[in-house]
Amino acid sequence: MRIKQPIKQRWKIILGVIGVFILLVIYSHLSYRQHVKNPTDTTMPNFSQLMDGIKMVTTPRENALQAAFGVVEEPSSNPIVRFWTQSWKTMIVQDAWATYSRLVKGLVWGCVLSMILGTLMGCFDGLASFLLPTLSFLSKVPGTAMLAVFFVLAGTGETMFIAMIGFGILPTLTQSIYLSARDDLHHEEIDKAYTLGASNIEVIWEVVFPQILPKILDNIRLQLGPAMVFLIAAEMLVGQVGMGYQVRMQQRLLHMNVVYDYLFILGATGLLMDKGMLSFRQWWCPWFDRDR
Amino acid sequence: MSHKVILNIENVSQWFGKNRVLHDINLKIVQGQFVALVGPSGCGKSTLLRAILGTEPPKEGIIETDGVQVIGPNRNVGIVYQKYGLYRFLTVQENVAFGPKLDKTQIYHRTCMPWHWLPLKKQQREEAKAMLEKLRLKDSHDKYPSELSGGMQQRVAIAQALVMKPKLLLLDEPFGALDESTREELQMMLLRLYQENLAAIKIGEEPPWTVIIITHELNEAFYVSDRVVGLSKNWREMPKTGGMKRGEHFGATKVWDKAAPTFRPDEPKDFSRFIPMRDELKNSVLSEVGNVELDRNAHVSFWDDLANGVGTGVAFTKGPSDE
Repeated sequence: MRIKQPIKQRWKIILGVIGVFILLVIYSHLSYRQHVKNPTDTTMPNFSQLMDGIKMVTTPRENALQAAFGVVEEPSSNPIVRFWTQSWKTMIVQDAWATYSRLVKGLVWGCVLSMILGTLMGCFDGLASFLLPTLSFLSKVPGTAMLAVFFVLAGTGETMFIAMIGFGILPTLTQSIYLSARDDLHHEEIDKAYTLGASNIEVIWEVVFPQILPKILDNIRLQLGPAMVFLIAAEMLVGQVGMGYQVRMQQRLLHMNVVYDYLFILGATGLLMDKGMLSFRQWWCPWFDRDR
Repeated sequence: MSHKVILNIENVSQWFGKNRVLHDINLKIVQGQFVALVGPSGCGKSTLLRAILGTEPPKEGIIETDGVQVIGPNRNVGIVYQKYGLYRFLTVQENVAFGPKLDKTQIYHRTCMPWHWLPLKKQQREEAKAMLEKLRLKDSHDKYPSELSGGMQQRVAIAQALVMKPKLLLLDEPFGALDESTREELQMMLLRLYQENLAAIKIGEEPPWTVIIITHELNEAFYVSDRVVGLSKNWREMPKTGGMKRGEHFGATKVWDKAAPTFRPDEPKDFSRFIPMRDELKNSVLSEVGNVELDRNAHVSFWDDLANGVGTGVAFTKGPSDE
């Protein structure tokens, strides 16, 4: 086989499945060895322990406050409403909602600001000269090390999580968008837009932005991982609810079956978001893949 | 016969640092002319084109299009480049309709007044479609530029410029990267546009297209244009006029300006009609063998020829009021 020689799609799928299978076999073997030594071990939970973990996180929990005051809620007669209200009482839904709503809000703020700044920096040299040194410096400071600063500046409430994600991804994302806006457009394309009657705003909105949009979407995809790292780290430190908070709590209680369930959900959701972004980019910018 | 001057270049010089690229260029182009700009590599043809376009204004002299001084790129001067001519994120039809959209509406109009914008958009798409059909591209309007051949992309780029009806269209080596048959096809397209000019003059209307084409191919220059302008760095003033001697200047200037024979798209390609003139141009303007210095004005005779009525082309064609 030569370097970069393509293989058939069928083989790609088979090799991917084999990779996952090997991971499962290694885990099962380690778990088995651990349980041979200690049948009650929870550090490497076996299949039934993992199922127990799933049951635990999906079982509705009673509201401790309501229970203390003897408040009893009448279940709705509508099965859909009943399912919905019961779901909101489960650990996984509460934590997932807290984490992903923070993630989405933070990403929206960070992405919108980065798109505006990066695009304008690519269009106006003066703005790039003004902002680039600061952004380059900030992008080299590890995001998790900046947590202390965010705790001090934005407190430990919801605003802090959103600001931390937004400003955490901003330096790197802005620089990537700036480079796309600067390098992906030839001056001929800009000059031509002017000869077609475009104003400066129209050149930015109608020429520069659509041209770099696929790169922006790809860069946002790449920032999903770092954004999640900032969020989970912050939740582990100061969260009252959320995936990071729960992983930390359950790890302290040695409920690793719950931890692994949460890790699986985090990984699967990340993968889905990544594929979703990719599909969105392919649908919204069909020309991009044909152009390459 | 009166001639409307669409492009007026007066005493234009351009330099970058110590590198003097253009020296004292003077050129007037009459409405409807197809002018080929030729010269050796590095003689400043593209620099002059950028100055006309307004992206790099000259350090000295003025450039006017239709009497208005050029201070930046604008909708009156269209451009077709050899590469990067089309917007990759737009389909062929959208590319052609892009100019009218930008020219006739503004962002707030398109976003806040859809009841006005949407019918206009439909109308502009139809105009784009008609232009594409005129340039024989009617089956490609939904494709993206990357799905077209190089020749088709250049035709779309020309359609994109023509739909704006610019007062002056600049073609910067537009067929340089194309194969021979595609190049010939596009040359025919230019000849058809030129025929529209002649037809317009004959019925007393203004010729719609004025074109400057930069090309390295001399046959192409003489075939598609009705006037050839040559630039060279290898020139001197005649001593008797007290002009400059070699060493006092370094930039290129206009050393050739003559009418060229015109061709119809339906007649055979008979190069013998311009071969002597082409060879003279080749030997004097393009050849640097022997480092012979040209008399700057020896081959600049277009306006004298026009005054004497010796030549062919749009400027020599009489309208109904001239007869």
